[in-house]
Amino acid sequence: MKQIEFGLFNMSTNRKFLISTVLLFVLWIIVALIAIFTGTYSIGPFEAFEAFSNSDELSKTIFFKIRIPRVLMATIAGGTLAITGAALQALFRNPLASPFTLGISGGASLGALLALKSGLAVGFLGFSMVSISAFIFSLLTMLFVYSVSKVRGGVVATGRLLLAGVVANFLYSAVIMFIQFFSTFTESLQTMRWVMGSLDIVGFDTVWKTLIFVIPGCLILLSLTKDMNLFGLGDDVALSLGVNVKRMEKKIYFATSLAAGAVISVTGPIGFVGLIIPHILRMVLGVDNRIILPCSFLLGATFLTAADTVSRTIISPVEIPVGIITASIGGIFFLWLLIKTKKEIIV
Amino acid sequence: MATIINCSDLAFSYNETSVLRGINLSIVPGKMLGILGANGAGKSTLLKILCGVLKPKSGEALFKDKELSKMDRREIAKGIAYIPQDPMFAFPFTVNEVVLMGRAPYIGSFEFEREKDREIAKRAMETVGIFHLKDRLISEVSAGERQLSSIARGLVQEPEIMILDEPATYLDVKHRTEIMNILRELKEERGLSIIAATHDIFSSLFYFDEIMILKDGSILAEGKSDEVINSEILSSAYGIQVTVKKENGRVFVFPNQ
Repeated sequence: MKQIEFGLFNMSTNRKFLISTVLLFVLWIIVALIAIFTGTYSIGPFEAFEAFSNSDELSKTIFFKIRIPRVLMATIAGGTLAITGAALQALFRNPLASPFTLGISGGASLGALLALKSGLAVGFLGFSMVSISAFIFSLLTMLFVYSVSKVRGGVVATGRLLLAGVVANFLYSAVIMFIQFFSTFTESLQTMRWVMGSLDIVGFDTVWKTLIFVIPGCLILLSLTKDMNLFGLGDDVALSLGVNVKRMEKKIYFATSLAAGAVISVTGPIGFVGLIIPHILRMVLGVDNRIILPCSFLLGATFLTAADTVSRTIISPVEIPVGIITASIGGIFFLWLLIKTKKEIIV
Repeated sequence: MATIINCSDLAFSYNETSVLRGINLSIVPGKMLGILGANGAGKSTLLKILCGVLKPKSGEALFKDKELSKMDRREIAKGIAYIPQDPMFAFPFTVNEVVLMGRAPYIGSFEFEREKDREIAKRAMETVGIFHLKDRLISEVSAGERQLSSIARGLVQEPEIMILDEPATYLDVKHRTEIMNILRELKEERGLSIIAATHDIFSSLFYFDEIMILKDGSILAEGKSDEVINSEILSSAYGIQVTVKKENGRVFVFPNQ
């Protein structure tokens, strides 16, 4: 992997952590503010304030029922996809792992769709059954891909890993298309939009329901960042340095499925965020997971918020699914990376 | 003197295949034990049991009179450093970061290394002579420098014993000598105990206080290196007729064919 020197690279870990998280947090705030005040129906900061005092109902509704929940959802979704991507890369010891490439997003989509179609779109003890179903399918997919791609000595074979992910994605999309084929036109269109990845939500309800899964998932992942570093030195060295490797692996499975499953069950599969964001950060900040994971959340959140703002405004008033934007940016970025590092091994 | 590691009647098997049986071993502070034997004789497995990575199928492995399999992993990590034969570096950490990872047993989740930890890492890198490489990527330094980084990482654990699996096998004669000299210095100056598996019969005589020779999972011979390194024992250990010649404290081993 190539490094880009920014003077940040060789700083001591705690200073690097502090500087990068603060900078990225400020960046997120700026982008989130721009996103809130941008859209087909223009509400500037001044108008927003006026809407408050004059109780302009339309502006108020747009602002609180649509804009703010949507920016929060983009933040949660982008952050979760990026942090789970980084965690999966540590678990598979492979920079090409991500919810998307491992077929987890396909699994979660199918899980969510099945729950919706079988009329399970009801709450269960306050949890959304759709999210739970997405979580179960994510977990099963991950276990499948892991068991298939792990070869002798606990090493994950990159070829097998990507192949297993591709196969899983194809199988899931076959089932999704099968379900669509027997749906009514309107239902089919809805599913279609959702499969493309979209942040089209109304109200805070969805945000809270997603957060119930995302917060514990992300906290578990953040508590494991030091162990993930040691895991990169091989199972035996990690064990000899005090890591309970088996337990760490199980926690990562559980936490990534929980967080990514919940997000994907709402947004549909939004590709490439989990792959590009950690990759860019490693080029600038090095590979320490204690820095990469929290920064991935922040940069992923910022990136998806920005991408969503573009998707809402680029051919306004028509909204294009944000998945199309992230996939195009991600695809072009990876092509550029491939061309730039033609003669080098990129992974 | 109190023993650091003491094991009795160790046995281990992978699935049904027996790899080790009837192994008794003990080491006191400030001693260097070399383990010789053909490939597949069980050296690596034995070392992994001694550092708590593998659990023996039967028998006891004690670290300072406590059973390893019942100890907390972090406690073990503060006492025993393990340097594998061919360490994996899945991500391009810097040399400094790799060495600092040896402080892991002293640091909690959500914590970073403190000034004191960085100081310890700096001294370890100076001891093995790689401080000038500290900001280089571990993937970009030579195999010998990588091995030195691993040894520095082990030192940073502040262990009482260091267990190394063929520390010098892939290295040229200069780096091999350098590493063995560093290990001997650590033993003499800090009273560190060292157990190392090796194929290097030549250096065995110079550096190790005691030698254990494994064959098919059991102990073929053990004792001072003068006593165990002879034509008869080595021929049996490696399954090939060899002649051992000693001259001026040096040893020459060559196959008879």
